[in-house]
Amino acid sequence: MSDQENRRDSLKIIGAIGATCLFPFQADELYGQHEAHTASGPDAVYQRTFFNDEEFALLNVLVDEIIPPTSTPGAAAAGVPAYIDYVASKNESLGKTCRDGLKYLKKKKFEKLPAAGRERLLQDLCDSAEKQRKTSSKEKFWVAIKNLTADGYYTSRIGLRDELGFQGGAVLGSYPSCEVPEH
Amino acid sequence: MAAKVYDVVVVGAGAGGGTLAAHLARAGADVAIVEGGPRINTRTDFNTHSMPYEFPGRQIPTMKPGKQGMDSERSRGVGGKTMLWNAVAWRFSQRDFKGKDHDDGAGANWPINYADLAPYYDKIEREVGVCGNLDGLRDLPDGIFLPPAPMKCSDLIVKRGAAKLGVKVIHVRKATRTVAGGGRPACHYCGNCMAGCDVAAKYNSADVHIYPAARATGKLEVVPNAIVYEVMVSDENKATGVRYLHRETKEQGEVRGKSVVLACACVQTVALMLMSKSSRYPTGLANSSGHLGKDFIPHFTGGVECFHPELMGKPLTAGDDGFLDHAYVPSFMHDKKDRGFARSFGMQFNYQNRRSTGWARAMPGFGKAYKDSIKHRYPAHMVFSPYGEMLPGPRTFIDLDPKLKDKWGLPAARRTITHEENDKRIFKAMTEWSVQILNASGAEILRTWAEPVRNHELGGARMGDDPRDSVTNKWGQTHDIKNLFLADGSIFATASEKNPTHTIMALAARTADHIAERLRTGDL
Repeated sequence: MSDQENRRDSLKIIGAIGATCLFPFQADELYGQHEAHTASGPDAVYQRTFFNDEEFALLNVLVDEIIPPTSTPGAAAAGVPAYIDYVASKNESLGKTCRDGLKYLKKKKFEKLPAAGRERLLQDLCDSAEKQRKTSSKEKFWVAIKNLTADGYYTSRIGLRDELGFQGGAVLGSYPSCEVPEH
Repeated sequence: MAAKVYDVVVVGAGAGGGTLAAHLARAGADVAIVEGGPRINTRTDFNTHSMPYEFPGRQIPTMKPGKQGMDSERSRGVGGKTMLWNAVAWRFSQRDFKGKDHDDGAGANWPINYADLAPYYDKIEREVGVCGNLDGLRDLPDGIFLPPAPMKCSDLIVKRGAAKLGVKVIHVRKATRTVAGGGRPACHYCGNCMAGCDVAAKYNSADVHIYPAARATGKLEVVPNAIVYEVMVSDENKATGVRYLHRETKEQGEVRGKSVVLACACVQTVALMLMSKSSRYPTGLANSSGHLGKDFIPHFTGGVECFHPELMGKPLTAGDDGFLDHAYVPSFMHDKKDRGFARSFGMQFNYQNRRSTGWARAMPGFGKAYKDSIKHRYPAHMVFSPYGEMLPGPRTFIDLDPKLKDKWGLPAARRTITHEENDKRIFKAMTEWSVQILNASGAEILRTWAEPVRNHELGGARMGDDPRDSVTNKWGQTHDIKNLFLADGSIFATASEKNPTHTIMALAARTADHIAERLRTGDL
């Protein structure tokens, strides 16, 4: 595929998301940004409190479907399920959305489906939420779990440093200049 | 301490209060600076270089464990918002000071001209160190600058695109040192400016104004953790000091002075005056005009999020975060007669730290293709943030919440904001221009903000010549009480589209000169 075709393709994808939305994110969604100080800071090590064993196992499979291992580890290895547990434990309605969604997947025997079957099921969910813009409980679940997976993965050490190659926080002696060709 | 009567009691230790207190102490006055929050050590107390994955919720607390500060708008800390600001430092222009004349009667004029403030802008630039380029723009006066930081690759791409539309992109001007000096090192471009600069390469009022002046003069005392809730006024209509509650113990205290200056960051200054009611001032201190809380004109910002195809798939460099935004689009609309609105807008961009990956949510699909698309686009993501000037309107004001109290039992400040037709037109124009500039730069637009978001709170006790429609005169001195002054964004008569802090500092330095002179002549 030529660069130009690539470009057109990506524009189309972006177009499907819709050009206008409320932005910036709500305060509770500003992951990776600085928030006001709370008196008792969170522990560096997190113990799961929200999901039960069965739910958590399913969640591990699900997040790796959304962000799978490639040349870098996927969402499960990056600790995304623990992050989702943390957020779900702090937000009742989000917690319920996740729990209900996992129940739905359980009913569909998601874990036992072959890889292609899992992908098809999720593709249907994804299309229904992102293309058809439906908003029933299972689409809400898709949006929630995808957002949480994206947030959790790209703020993890694996996601931010290894996958994206973030080098911020470096201490520089001088600022490197950039050359941009004239068009 | 209770017995001491200072020459000047300053409430609030941010850009305005810190500058003013330091200038007065150096002029020989005995100064107390009363701050709601604690002392903060910028070197040790902030989570400056932390990463989100150090915290289970991925939100980085501002303060390190066990360190206090920045926990409420009444108790930020010594240094105030300059501890966490982005340090953008513009001079206002003559057009900004005479907005009403420039725009056929819309809004207000300041009672001062650019020439009145220019020497104080000079002074502040020498003291705080402002980097920037000499651009020779009529509407954005040049100053005494340290060398600018080079633009980022994405800035240069936007600059090239904007040029096709005849729009200029210039180096940002910031109160951040690009070369060492004044006891401060040069910026190391870690991108954590708004997380508390741990080396004070970026200006903060505590390290640059307050503490050096206190050490040099022995005449500047800091009273931290003191939440001021009342300005005391004598029967002779003189301000005599302030009453406060201790931030932790809630114990009451007083600081007395021959004059009082309020610099609590705009809204809190207005709230404090509204709380300081008396039989003489039943609607709020120094409010004979009835304008206290009115003429509130915060900036409003839009946003366009985009990707630069030229940068997709390119490796990130260590300098990618820089000191956040390195470039700026100065106002180019204010001289267009047919623009369809009063005032103008400017455009900041690229001031998000690259840890911010919230846009990944908006990319379609899942699986390997999704993951690859995020990685591919990551170096190319940019947010464009135009800032518009708001006109004062009857449906936008500050008052006290009749029900809501804060943890000290004090009424919460309340903001009521309605964007009138002029604001809406600016918002539309600045969003459309942003999209056009980005299109001309070859960017793929991801999304645009549908609604304005407020930033930079200004107005509420504006300065003016006429005591019937303004709260202070051209010195920031209240019309009603001769020895009561305001020295923060509350006195702005117009907001301009330019970030306000440099002007807050220059005004504070000017008011300090005025007070020092009056202390010498005994005329307060």
